[in-house]
Amino acid sequence: MLAAIAWRNVWRNRRRTLIAAASVFTAMVLSLFMLSMKQGSLYQMIAAGVNQVGNLQIHDTGYWENKSLDRAFFEHGQFNPVFKSIPEITRVVPHLQTFSLASYGKQTKGIVISGIDPRLEDQQSGLSRKIIDGHYLSGRDEVLIGELMATYLKMNVGDSIVLLGQGYRGITAYGIYKVAGIFNLPSREMNSNLLYMGLKDAQDFVYPYEKGLLTGYSIYLKDGTQEMPIKKQLEKQLGKKYEIISWRTILSDMLQTISVGKISNQVFVLILYLIAAFGIFSTVLMMTIEKRKEYAIMIALGMQRGRLVWVSVVETIIVSIVGVLAALTVMVPLLTYMHFHPVQVSGEMAKIYVLYNLEPIMPFLASPELFLSQAAIILGLSFFSAVYPILYILKFNVLNAYRH
Amino acid sequence: MSIIKAEGIYKTYNETHVPVNALNGVDLQIEQGEFTAIVGPSGSGKTTLLNIIGGLDLPSKGNIFIEQTNLKDLSSKQLIDFRLHHIGFVFQAYNLIPVLTAKENTEFIMVLQKRPKKEREEKVKELLEAVGIGDKANHRPGQLSGGQQQRVAVARALASQPKYIIADEPTANLDSKSTHELLDLMADMNKKYQTTFIFATHDQRVMDKARRIVTLDDGKITSDETFDR
Ligand SMILES: Nc1ncnc2c1ncn2[C@@H]1O[C@H](COP(=O)(O)OP(=O)(O)OP(=O)(O)O)[C@@H](O)[C@H]1O
Ligand SMILES: [Mg+2]
Repeated sequence: MLAAIAWRNVWRNRRRTLIAAASVFTAMVLSLFMLSMKQGSLYQMIAAGVNQVGNLQIHDTGYWENKSLDRAFFEHGQFNPVFKSIPEITRVVPHLQTFSLASYGKQTKGIVISGIDPRLEDQQSGLSRKIIDGHYLSGRDEVLIGELMATYLKMNVGDSIVLLGQGYRGITAYGIYKVAGIFNLPSREMNSNLLYMGLKDAQDFVYPYEKGLLTGYSIYLKDGTQEMPIKKQLEKQLGKKYEIISWRTILSDMLQTISVGKISNQVFVLILYLIAAFGIFSTVLMMTIEKRKEYAIMIALGMQRGRLVWVSVVETIIVSIVGVLAALTVMVPLLTYMHFHPVQVSGEMAKIYVLYNLEPIMPFLASPELFLSQAAIILGLSFFSAVYPILYILKFNVLNAYRH
Repeated sequence: MSIIKAEGIYKTYNETHVPVNALNGVDLQIEQGEFTAIVGPSGSGKTTLLNIIGGLDLPSKGNIFIEQTNLKDLSSKQLIDFRLHHIGFVFQAYNLIPVLTAKENTEFIMVLQKRPKKEREEKVKELLEAVGIGDKANHRPGQLSGGQQQRVAVARALASQPKYIIADEPTANLDSKSTHELLDLMADMNKKYQTTFIFATHDQRVMDKARRIVTLDDGKITSDETFDR
């Protein structure tokens, strides 16, 4: 019966209830839209970053601090059983990275050589699709260079590039390679500094005396896998000789940028919600004031104030739930649609996306957690709005309320 | 033994600002089954006395016993529970909860008393018939006349099976026909259920029905007469 009283009280002044619910609705729609957009792009950035570096990387201990070839290690199949024993690992991509000078004709330039397994790398990042001239790596002694590097060195597909650098254990690395293709990656830095060659060529280049030299592995895990347990497991199995670095460390600069953005979002959302809470509060305030005679009668008749508080809180929650449900009814389908049909980004914004190595689309995140968390926050705030009636009910003088 | 025993009751309002002495030493005993009117000029302290007897207010001085219980000894929560289980109320106005039907209003206190559903339903049906509202059980207060609303209030007061019912000017907002009907109803109920009624009134017609009339003036009892009716 108390629930019936609360429910009917809410609909006594339908228009006022709907106005309060509308303030909740508006705040929730705006904040969901904004959070969905922000979290979607955050997710996109992280996914792009992880796609590039792997969920975890394995190096010789110390390599992460000081990326020198001295901290490279030899792979003689000792890792395979370890990788096989962890079913969450979906892909393992080996790398050998080093610095070198590149020259062609009169031009010379410092570059980064990335030795890759052409097939694995293509599966992971789709590198072959980024080739704008020539073809992808198909045989020995071939390299791929970025568009800007080609311009700088005045090279074309089919020309031979001379590489000269420091090899492993102090030897001099030297080689001549044919430019098989020119790629265009989203980042300017990569386009001007990066050279890809087959892993075997890279290993021969830095140390021709022993096979299997690597600077690291990128480990990819099944979607939704927790990294920490896998990291622990790898650390245990591989021992102190190797370090396991999580993408969170590798991409820490990016995460930092993102988290700053997150705080400013939350402030904005908080303001929206305070407006909604105020809408509920003023409604509840009016409901309380106009019902004080009824409240007085109920307490006089023998209803404990605590139970009256309960009725009042339920009324408040009903008002906000109406707004929340309306907002969810609109936003769940809308954001789900936008999640699967992201907006294309163009112009200046698109450039920023490219800078971050992202596809220029604006993805929306439509996760149950997002909807539930926002609904929970609104309901939590509506409890706050109920504080006034609660205090009033607990304190007011029954006889005075009845008389005036 | 009396069900109500008021001893040396004083009540002073506004003790901090301009004090008003509403009751100046009232002694009163009420027996089971009485049908008693408290009368007196406006401002003589009728409402004040009824509020104290009804456990809605405490005296500034003096004691009020309901059978063994001294109301002064109860905490505010205990006092609310005491009212719930032992005292019925019919107010002058705003008696009913507007969003509940006549039936639900009558049932309301029994719900608070946690009485079983079956008992509640039987009792509500019986009482609404008895007060002549049986056919309007599902009407909300807004759909009932003032007299009908007061009848529902009487039914509700009886439903809680109180030791006594206090009614402060229950007929003040009613026309003479409704006043008569309500008085007859209360008198009937008083006979039928042996429920004690104490009401404050200005209304000569109400006084004519009362079997005991206590007159207040300036916060003191000036006469106390009983009639055989
Ligand atoms: N809450 C209050 N604060 C201050 N003074 C009060 C209060 N309630 C009543 N009084 C004063 O106490 C005195 C008695 O009032 P009370 O309401 O008991 O009289 P009454 O006999 O019921 O009058 P009426 O017939 O007009 O209802 C009056 O002088 C009144 O002004
Ligand atoms: Mg009065």
